[in-house]
Amino acid sequence: MQRAALLAIVESVVDELNELKSEQEKIQFSEDTSLYGQSSPLDSVDLVNLLLAVEEQLEDEHDISFTIANEKAMSMRNSPFKTVSTLIDYLMSELN
Amino acid sequence: MFIDFLLQVFSDNRDKEAIIWRDQAFSYEWLSKRVRYWLNEIEKSEIESGHVVMIEADFSPESVAIFLALTELGGIVVPLTKSVEAKKDEFIETAMGQWLLQVDVDDNASCQRLSGNPEHKCYAQLRNQGNPGLVLFSSGTTGKSKAAVHDLAKLLEKFKTPRHALRGISFLLYDHIGGVNTLLYMLANGGCIVTLENRQPDYVLSAIERHSVELLPTSPTFINLILLSEAYRRYDISCLKTVTYGTEPMPESTLLRFNSLFPHIRLLQTYGLSELGILRSKSKESSSLWMKIGGEGFDTRIVDNMLEIKAHSAMLGYLNAPSPFTEDGWFITGDMVETDGEYIKVLGRKSEIINVGGQKVYPAEVESVLQTISGVAEAEVFGEPNALLGHVVCAKIRVADGIELDKKLLKRTIKRLCSEKLQSFQIPAKITFDQGEQFSARFKKQRNIG
Repeated sequence: MQRAALLAIVESVVDELNELKSEQEKIQFSEDTSLYGQSSPLDSVDLVNLLLAVEEQLEDEHDISFTIANEKAMSMRNSPFKTVSTLIDYLMSELN
Repeated sequence: MFIDFLLQVFSDNRDKEAIIWRDQAFSYEWLSKRVRYWLNEIEKSEIESGHVVMIEADFSPESVAIFLALTELGGIVVPLTKSVEAKKDEFIETAMGQWLLQVDVDDNASCQRLSGNPEHKCYAQLRNQGNPGLVLFSSGTTGKSKAAVHDLAKLLEKFKTPRHALRGISFLLYDHIGGVNTLLYMLANGGCIVTLENRQPDYVLSAIERHSVELLPTSPTFINLILLSEAYRRYDISCLKTVTYGTEPMPESTLLRFNSLFPHIRLLQTYGLSELGILRSKSKESSSLWMKIGGEGFDTRIVDNMLEIKAHSAMLGYLNAPSPFTEDGWFITGDMVETDGEYIKVLGRKSEIINVGGQKVYPAEVESVLQTISGVAEAEVFGEPNALLGHVVCAKIRVADGIELDKKLLKRTIKRLCSEKLQSFQIPAKITFDQGEQFSARFKKQRNIG
């Protein structure tokens, strides 16, 4: 899959998450948006929801069945869930 | 001897209706004669006190008379209904049945000998005391059905205290503790049992109208089905005074909706288990899930937020599982509760709690919110393993009939409405759609344990 297509999926998922958030809580979307840790606007439940929603779009629109938060991802030295950009890098390498 | 008090009630009420079956009334005089007929027949047969007799039947005049006659003669009764057809052989084997008494749909009884050779310490205890027994199988939604052996003489004790005579529906099944409780309550107070040919909301409500029924003992699932079907618009059920519900947690939204539609109907929560019988209970109000439970013969206590009960009439034990009682006789229910003074509120089974990153989610609480959403007919909430949080909350939705399904839109609506009433970890992270009905033959919600 193309990087741009994956980026579009993640952006649309962030938009969906934002629908449930108040003005102050809304996540600013960019490739550098931090997905996890102290500097992140997402808490762990947000992160899981984001990943599950990305999985769902991959499945529904691209017929790709893939569990993003798997053992491998969890044990990588550089967590793929650091930023939007690292997530996309990870997806690119796993899906292509 | 065991049913003398019932026979006295029958004779005091001889002209009153005891059972309505296929819209036909059978009086207490008829029932009394029929019990004597079966006492005589069974005595002539090879069935003896202490024998294990499977009765495959539904509520009917003959099945009630046979149940009582066997009780009187000290039999060990194992009721079976169509709802457990698939497990019939397993149940006969577990109970080690010696006789199979079948009452067919036209109320004709037949009997055959089985090969069981029942030896078990629970059976031995009954035989030593010469008391009749009752074996009830748990629904086994989370594994194998367990067979609870009761001393029927003890179970009958609490029905000796006179209470109101009511006309009630035998909604809960003949082989279920709730059904047995309804039957004995009605008979012990000269009430009338209105039997059902099926359990469709329209049929049940039409029976309520036709036979001036005052009491409907049922489950939260069926109350939800009444609301969904809108069957209440088609029948006059103003005769109905009390609806009791138990067997599973009631979604608060369902309770409030029923209560606002029928403010004159008293809603009472019941609490009972196949292992213990039914406790006396009192709801704080019709619109409240808070209740007091206990009554004569029952002690309750709460340990680590879990309800424990000590019952005088508790079962003797399981036929096919180790004793679940503590050394001093307390039964650990597995039900998590909240307390407020004397009142308790059942939150759900401990085994059904979904642990989301260390936070506890009770499926019933989420289901209650989901069921308020227009377009949602039924919702089943369960957990699924997740590498980041341990578990996540999943929901399976049955969409109301006639709703055009835009999955994406409905998912977004569900998440938005949930976010107004639930905390973020409680909101279903995964939502799927399935048009299958989500309840068992006992009208109890079926949940996947994730």
